[in-house]
Amino acid sequence: MIVPIGHVLLLALILLLLGIACVLARRTLIMMLIGVEIMINAAGLVAVAGSALHRQLDGQILAVFLMAMTAAEVAISLAMVVYLRRRKGTIIADAFDGMKG
Amino acid sequence: MNPVLLALIPLLPLFSAVLLMLFGLRLPRLAVGTLAVGAVAASTVATLLLWPAASGDGLLVVLYAWAAVTGLDLPLTLHFNPLSAPMTLMVTLVSTLIHLYAVAYMAKEEDVVRFFALLNLFVFAMLLIVLADSLLLVFIGWEGVGFCSYALIGFWYQEGKNADAGRKAFLVTRVGDVFFGIALLWLFALTGTLSISAINAQAVLLPAATVTAIGLLLLLGASGKSAQLPLMSWLADAMAGPTPVSALIHAATMVTAGVYLLCRFFPLISLSPTALLAIATVGGLTAFYAATCALAQREIKRVLAYSTMSQVGFMLLAVGAGSVGAAMFHLITHAFFKALLFMAAGVVIHLADGENDLFKLGGLSRKAPQVAILLVIGALCLAGVPLTGGFFSKDAILLAVGAHPETAYKILWLLGIISALLTAIYTFRLAYLVCAGPPRTAIGHVASPGLVAPLWPLALLGLLAGLLNLPPLLGGGERLMHFLGPYAGLQPEVSHLAEFGQWGLAALLVFVGWRIARSRWSKQPAAQEGARIDFFRSGWQIDTLIATVLLRPFSALCRFSSEKIDKVGIDGVIAGLAQCCRFGSSSVLRMATGRLSTAVTSMTVGVLLLMVWGLWTLLLR
Repeated sequence: MIVPIGHVLLLALILLLLGIACVLARRTLIMMLIGVEIMINAAGLVAVAGSALHRQLDGQILAVFLMAMTAAEVAISLAMVVYLRRRKGTIIADAFDGMKG
Repeated sequence: MNPVLLALIPLLPLFSAVLLMLFGLRLPRLAVGTLAVGAVAASTVATLLLWPAASGDGLLVVLYAWAAVTGLDLPLTLHFNPLSAPMTLMVTLVSTLIHLYAVAYMAKEEDVVRFFALLNLFVFAMLLIVLADSLLLVFIGWEGVGFCSYALIGFWYQEGKNADAGRKAFLVTRVGDVFFGIALLWLFALTGTLSISAINAQAVLLPAATVTAIGLLLLLGASGKSAQLPLMSWLADAMAGPTPVSALIHAATMVTAGVYLLCRFFPLISLSPTALLAIATVGGLTAFYAATCALAQREIKRVLAYSTMSQVGFMLLAVGAGSVGAAMFHLITHAFFKALLFMAAGVVIHLADGENDLFKLGGLSRKAPQVAILLVIGALCLAGVPLTGGFFSKDAILLAVGAHPETAYKILWLLGIISALLTAIYTFRLAYLVCAGPPRTAIGHVASPGLVAPLWPLALLGLLAGLLNLPPLLGGGERLMHFLGPYAGLQPEVSHLAEFGQWGLAALLVFVGWRIARSRWSKQPAAQEGARIDFFRSGWQIDTLIATVLLRPFSALCRFSSEKIDKVGIDGVIAGLAQCCRFGSSSVLRMATGRLSTAVTSMTVGVLLLMVWGLWTLLLR
């Protein structure tokens, strides 16, 4: 490996924290979804890095699956966002408090 | 042929009752009456045809082999023996006459189908009690008469008072039934059979204390049905029913069922002197109690009701003294003259347009001499005027009690004598108030022949019933006693002198009673009033006593259970638990904002904590 594994893991950690911060801080659903995407990609990065480190294909396969799954997830999530927007006229997450006890 | 005939005796009235219930409303009025009377009359004929079979061990017929499995054999059997045969004949005969009377009595009534259906059902249930050998059948009949009496006493249920009287009769007798039921199950547990004859045959093998306990339970059961102390309060109110019902229930049938039951169980009960003494005591006390009450009543039918209670007390006294023969003798004569008295009273009330106050009646001898004669015949029998049926039967009882060796029975004998005197007084009081003097209520119309005709045979039977069991002293053969044979119980050995003495005393009592009644009530009777009279009129305030001793504490207990135990105790615990839960949940509830941000934040924090913990443990390893 050209890049040391430590750097890759550090990048992944930064990406993960950015994702978490995005999900926690942003109020619109779209931005929260983007945060989730960033977190997933951080995980994918770790998988690819691990695959390169150990010279095994499993990690890359996992990354491909992650991409496919992410595509599916985004499709469903965006459909729900469209639906929610139609229902309440907003996509601010805190507006949907139907589960309030 | 005979078994079929025996089964037909109770089944004919049942058949008629069912027929009336199903199709009665489509039948013409005449057919309803004919069917009802015909069924009971046919039972009478069947009994007469079957009569020769009663001698010796009698005729035992298995109706149906119920619950026939290994080790358990409970056939439903009927037993036509020297004890049940005279009783059956009496019940069917008197019931036939009462049914005949009822046809005329209910001529203007709307709901005649229900009346006759119930009346027939009642006779069926009574015949079941009389004839059954299986205690199960006895119990069915026992409950059957209870139900029918409830329905018949409350026949005019539109008036709340009548329905209440029906309910009272049902509930009070039910108390006795519980004890009877316990005795029945206990006997079954002890002997493994429900056949009365088999139980009696095994009775000697039972321990003495058990026999005493069962005897007392049977006595309590009999007290409920026979309106004896302490379960007697229903009988006076039971007069709310139509007069034929009063005659049927309170003369011929239901009230005698208790006495008859004890007679059936006499071989068992006689093994326990304690139970016998208890029976005699209850009988003697009731005889006295009811006689004092009868003396103060104003309503003609209530006088008769209390007199019935008193006379049934005499019968129990006889059973307690060991003389089943005397009890059965008095039971039969009493059925004749009391049915006569009730039905005559019904005619009197009918003639006076529903007036039943003794002090507003009177002058019957001039207005309706035939009815007056019938009433007086009944009264003579009830008072025990020498040579009438009531004289012989009552003296048989008093002789048997007086001849008993134990001292306690001497006191009971004295009680019986006093009751006999009171009986004579209140009977002549009734007769004088109704028959003598000027009419105090206008008697408008004439009694229809249909009402009066059935009374004549009863009058004859009542007067001549002494011939059934004429003592040897008068050249008779004590035919009833001989017929009963082993069922007659213990016969007292009485010297001729004692017998003459008893008769003289009885005649004297009647004479004294007659003089007292004549001097007080023959001319211009003043209505008795005052606190003392009220005390006796209300049956020694028994209803108030029951209300204070039983009902009020019970309702207080119920109120306590409802308001304190249930509403405060149980509900309090449950409400407290609910309060705790609500408090607990309300504190957790604040966390559930329903917002996505809260959920995500707490999840993130949680995962981070888990990770820290995981790292921590990893590092420590």
